[in-house]
Amino acid sequence: MKRYFFVLSLISFLLFLPTYGLAKIPGGTVTYAAGADPDRLDPANAESNPSEAVNRMMYENLAKFDEKLNIVPGLATKWEQSKDGMTWTFFLRKGVKFHDGAPFNSEAVKVFIERMIGPEKPSRAGLYVPFVNLVEIVDDYTIKIHLKTPFAFFLNNLAHSASGIISPTALKTHGKDIARKPVGTGPFKFVEWIHGDHITLVRNDDYWGGKPNLDKIIVKTVKEDSARVMMLQSGDAQLIVRIPPEDVPRLEKDAKIKLDSTETLRVLYIGINCFKKPFTDARVRQALNYAVDKEAIVKNIYQGRALVTSGIVAPLTTGYFPIQGYPYDPEKAKKLLAEAGYPNGFKAKLWSPQGRYPKDFEMAQVVQQQLKKVGIDCTLDTMEWAAYLAATRKGSEENESELFLLGWAPSTAEARWILYPLFTTEQWVPKGNNRSFFSNKEFDELVTKFTRATNKAEMDKYLKAAQELLIKEAPSIFILVTKETIGMSKNLHGVINSPLELTYFDHQTYLEK
Amino acid sequence: MGRYIFKRTLMLLPVLLGVSLVSFSLLHMVPGDPAELLAGEEANPEFIRALRKEYGLDQPLYIQYFHFISHVVRGDFGISIRNREPVIKLLKERFLFTLQLSFLSILIAGSIGLVAGVISATKQYSLFDNFSMVGALFGVSMPIFWFGLLLMLVFSVQLRWFPAGGKGTILHLILPAIALGAASSAVIARMTRASMLEVIRQDYIRTARANGLREFIVIYKHALKNAMIPVITVFGLEFGYMLGGAVLTETVFSLPGVGRLMVEGIFQRDYPIVQGSMLLVATTFVVVNLLTDIAYAFFDPKIRYE
Repeated sequence: MKRYFFVLSLISFLLFLPTYGLAKIPGGTVTYAAGADPDRLDPANAESNPSEAVNRMMYENLAKFDEKLNIVPGLATKWEQSKDGMTWTFFLRKGVKFHDGAPFNSEAVKVFIERMIGPEKPSRAGLYVPFVNLVEIVDDYTIKIHLKTPFAFFLNNLAHSASGIISPTALKTHGKDIARKPVGTGPFKFVEWIHGDHITLVRNDDYWGGKPNLDKIIVKTVKEDSARVMMLQSGDAQLIVRIPPEDVPRLEKDAKIKLDSTETLRVLYIGINCFKKPFTDARVRQALNYAVDKEAIVKNIYQGRALVTSGIVAPLTTGYFPIQGYPYDPEKAKKLLAEAGYPNGFKAKLWSPQGRYPKDFEMAQVVQQQLKKVGIDCTLDTMEWAAYLAATRKGSEENESELFLLGWAPSTAEARWILYPLFTTEQWVPKGNNRSFFSNKEFDELVTKFTRATNKAEMDKYLKAAQELLIKEAPSIFILVTKETIGMSKNLHGVINSPLELTYFDHQTYLEK
Repeated sequence: MGRYIFKRTLMLLPVLLGVSLVSFSLLHMVPGDPAELLAGEEANPEFIRALRKEYGLDQPLYIQYFHFISHVVRGDFGISIRNREPVIKLLKERFLFTLQLSFLSILIAGSIGLVAGVISATKQYSLFDNFSMVGALFGVSMPIFWFGLLLMLVFSVQLRWFPAGGKGTILHLILPAIALGAASSAVIARMTRASMLEVIRQDYIRTARANGLREFIVIYKHALKNAMIPVITVFGLEFGYMLGGAVLTETVFSLPGVGRLMVEGIFQRDYPIVQGSMLLVATTFVVVNLLTDIAYAFFDPKIRYE
């Protein structure tokens, strides 16, 4: 009997040994130093990256992005699109509960969609209002969403941070104040938010995907770049984001720290006011593009931690096509300027924010010097961000901008949410986001066509044509795609550093002891 | 005395009204729209309109101002545009923190400043005097941002004695309090030294010495007490500034104080936050000034408030 027992325990020991060796030792608290204060912890109304990152740990979507931005099942296990592209059927995951105990089912999805298209008008309503007609509950775990028009990127909108599904009971109790009392289904639950200091989350033991490894997450607001770096070095934080390029070489040498860099979807560009002379002439805009040495900017200002881009769509974006852009060619720029009637160049205004994007003002200074070489003499001005947005948002007649540095990253990870808001005629500021007053009928039509396309070949054809046309018409000086470098302690594993500029943890993230 | 305090407190009302009017007009004069800022680059016009309506930003300015004042009178400071938190709650949290930091900071600054000042004055032109006055020069001219980062680099990253920023235990407060207090201690030291130098040449000090009092008693009881009036003024001013929020220190050390609340409120055009914190800062400044005036009477019985 004893021997039998011994053998049995030996077998069970051996059985468990390999799994034990691989097992992630659960537990631990991670301090995450973010670069800015979160605004609202209500997915539909959150507009800052820290809020979105925190929301991603508490909330989940029907569909979600994997690390390569492919769309994979989330709270829906599968879905079907009708032939005409007008109806989507979602089959929901069973046995999922919200942090307040409410069950996740068709009703919760209905409440979520109806809030988005309803009278409350959350800030991200734009993801749904133009497309969604109505929701229909088929049974407890099957739901149909009927669209107004076919929409090629509907799943991207569902995977957007804004589409995190909120507990319907909590939403009913708190209304808009859900922004500071978040309740989702995600691997981590909300504990407290001390404004200006930190947000605390704890493990959700009932998580459907299995018990999360980390016990607790503290997301701290640390605005000063060097302070964040020091917190990582001193061990006061295990994860920091937005590492300034100049600190990277030093951190690379630190044996206790590892860095992770990902290219983002954010393109930095110099917008051109196409409503104003001489920028109404496409040749002038092309000349501007030839006159800027993007390689030099990436190499000297960003120390290689950025990518030259030929257009407005970054390579990791769904719907990106590699298209030949404008190489550095000052001679060609001068020739084009002469053809357009400006053989001696002209004077222009160049605006840039300072500190909004990495190295923004430094980049504008280099652009200023480079434009001078082809005879375009720019005065460079900076403004505080709120004033900058207001100045570039004025209507066509009173807008005084000429050249202005901005960045854009599509939060839906697809090309439409770049091409449509930034460059279609109906999106001219102040109504939309087309601050360049670019207007091209052919382009507008192409955007409509690929948006409504029901098959991929058709969609790709129009998408590519739209991007080619945009590069040819050059309503901006397309410069570069940014990279996001995060740093963490060597013993922290499984951190998600998404190209959407969101850094967060899931239930598999763990601390090695 | 009671009447004096009452009168001074009444004076708060016009001061606060003035501050609220000026801050309100300045805030609305600068370009920028809170709704648009909140909505970010990917703004959605419908949302901006709804938000402007919710916060009454579509109303004429004078109506907005009266709306604000009439609510403040009832103790309602509104809710933050950015994160929907009641302003009064944010002010309370932040002010309690600023109060702690300022107390610790003025304590450090005061003790270093007073001691250094007195020794420098009694041992004028000595090595200590030269040394501490050069130190004071450093103290006043050092950029707080740089000094804060330096403290962090040495004491958090290298020595690991103190945490690198954030709120928490008393340990978290030490480095920021030193960074914040450095300049004040320098000012206090220089003021104490100058004032003491004047006082110890007075006849009554000579008389005290001639009476055979011990040097310690002469300096710390007779001289210092009489030299305190200008020092108290500096103390009050420095403390007032600290309570008004120390934006730079708070930024370097990632601390949730009043200063950052206000400055970030301005950048976000979060009107309720900025207006609320302006009123708070103005009130603390007036109160600290009043306390300073009362302290004069304690150190110099010749001063009476009738």
